[in-house]
Amino acid sequence: MNPPPVEIALDFRAVAPIAISGIGAMAVLLLEVFLARRKTFLFKPIGPSYVSGVLGLAATFTLVAAITTAAQAFLSGGTAVFNPEHPMVQLDRFAAFGIGVVGVGALLAVWLSIHYLVELRINYGEYYALLLLSTSGMMLMVSAVDLISVFLGLEILSIPIYVLAGFDRRKLDSNESAMKYFLTGSFASGLLLYGMALLYGTTGHTDLAGIRAAFDAGNPLTVGGLGLVIVGFAFKVSSVPFHQWTPDVYEGAPTSVTAYMSVTVKAAAFVTLLRFAAAGFATVPENLTQVLWVLAVATIAVGNITAVVQDNVKRMLAYSSIGHAGFILIGFVAASPEGYSAVLFYLFAYLFMNVGAFGVIVALADRGRDWDRIEDYSGLARTRPGLAAVMTLFMISLAGIPGTVGFVAKFQIFAAAVKAGHVWLTVIAVLGSVISIYYYLRVPVHMYMREPGEVSPRTGMDTTEGLVLLTCVFGVLFFGFFPDGIDRLPLSALSWARDSVALLR
Amino acid sequence: MIPIEHVIGLSAILFTVGTLGALTRRNLIVILMSIELMLNAVNLAFVGFARAWGDLGGQIMVLMVITVAAAEVAVGLGIVIAMFRNRDSVNIEDVSLLKW
Repeated sequence: MNPPPVEIALDFRAVAPIAISGIGAMAVLLLEVFLARRKTFLFKPIGPSYVSGVLGLAATFTLVAAITTAAQAFLSGGTAVFNPEHPMVQLDRFAAFGIGVVGVGALLAVWLSIHYLVELRINYGEYYALLLLSTSGMMLMVSAVDLISVFLGLEILSIPIYVLAGFDRRKLDSNESAMKYFLTGSFASGLLLYGMALLYGTTGHTDLAGIRAAFDAGNPLTVGGLGLVIVGFAFKVSSVPFHQWTPDVYEGAPTSVTAYMSVTVKAAAFVTLLRFAAAGFATVPENLTQVLWVLAVATIAVGNITAVVQDNVKRMLAYSSIGHAGFILIGFVAASPEGYSAVLFYLFAYLFMNVGAFGVIVALADRGRDWDRIEDYSGLARTRPGLAAVMTLFMISLAGIPGTVGFVAKFQIFAAAVKAGHVWLTVIAVLGSVISIYYYLRVPVHMYMREPGEVSPRTGMDTTEGLVLLTCVFGVLFFGFFPDGIDRLPLSALSWARDSVALLR
Repeated sequence: MIPIEHVIGLSAILFTVGTLGALTRRNLIVILMSIELMLNAVNLAFVGFARAWGDLGGQIMVLMVITVAAAEVAVGLGIVIAMFRNRDSVNIEDVSLLKW
């Protein structure tokens, strides 16, 4: 006898951004075959920069479509669950915000890559496919409400990035970057998975709602499982003591990849951790807060102090990104709606200033080499005044000086921490912030107060690179002065972050 | 029927062996194998828990983990080969271009 037919009402709107990015990745991969460098029955061979341009355009369309669907979901304010009977993927405002940040980060990275890949002679079509695939993994992870989809999203985001970090496969430091990221990343996935297994074993559920309902803070196995999950995410966001891979990987990877992963992986991992922390385990703030307090302080201290002695700008930005991870963790310690919305706003702000800083490095890459040593920036204000000016803007924004989006982000975080009673934590964070001004301003000092070196920098800039820098300058200044938008241009990033978090409780 | 404690005990032992291997060994291939061991220990734990709870979620998770582990090891070996071509070595001590 046949079983009765099962009626499943699937809501495909919930997976639209994920599916669009995934399908886009496949389409880009196919397109590259048709744009072959040899003559095929359909196409004449075209130059490598055109191939890169066409594939970049396809990736741009894909990402714009994905961001648009997410924006629609955000504006409608509803919650779409893919399969209501077994919720795994849920597109709500919170997920839509994460998808937006990740999508814009990927879009800027695509634009940065179009010329850079040709410059470095690593102009292969897989690059865009891997980038889109990893973006779809991030989108899956931020909209996941089940351990299975969290894990799947995490791996779909990580595995393509392992490849991207080693994309310049003839270069030893790119190999090394990929190797280190792969080993630490998969080791971290192992720990994360064991934590998930323990959570599943002690609660009997894989969905976050079920885990929360059955969570028993007195059971050491449950708490250990949660601890291992936090360790797994700490690896991904490069929080001390799991940060050692970050500088090596960021320095060795092609700069466009570094720009991509430094903002999007961090955003995706923190947003998912927020869902875990806020939606999953609202009942155990006691020990968890202490652990996060220690993590935040250690991360701020190590990141900001070690960044001081770096002579490579990419490496300095890597340590600075560890420091920023520490600042973001303060929002988790505060564990209030203000803290959580400050985390989201910080990720949004970090997107513009960090992609901008890496964008300047990309725009200077010349004859197959990155201009990433601090001496390369000597006298840049005389040879490339425009680039020097925008680099200075991104540096003061990363340092958190008023008038930039970096200041607004830090202010939100600190205000939330003080309101939650963590005054000492705020004091330490402000001290870390003061240290950071020293190493950020070293770059402008070299650009404006030193004589230019013998090798003159690349002249001219690709249109897409200019577009990225323009977008980032706009983001840093507009959201720095008007974080709540203005009447003519109602881009109210602060209330977006607040609306997203409102749903978590 | 094997009690759940035995299954989880074995899984914990395997996981510890894998973790120690990944942390102490110096050959990239052996490290990869150790990480695989960690993932398989996780699989064992999930299957054990799934049987104990009579819930299918854990077993579905295992299928996902197996699939992902296959993809991961393919990428990992690819990276090892790319490095071996440039350096003629699979020893982790030689991976030391980028420091501090």
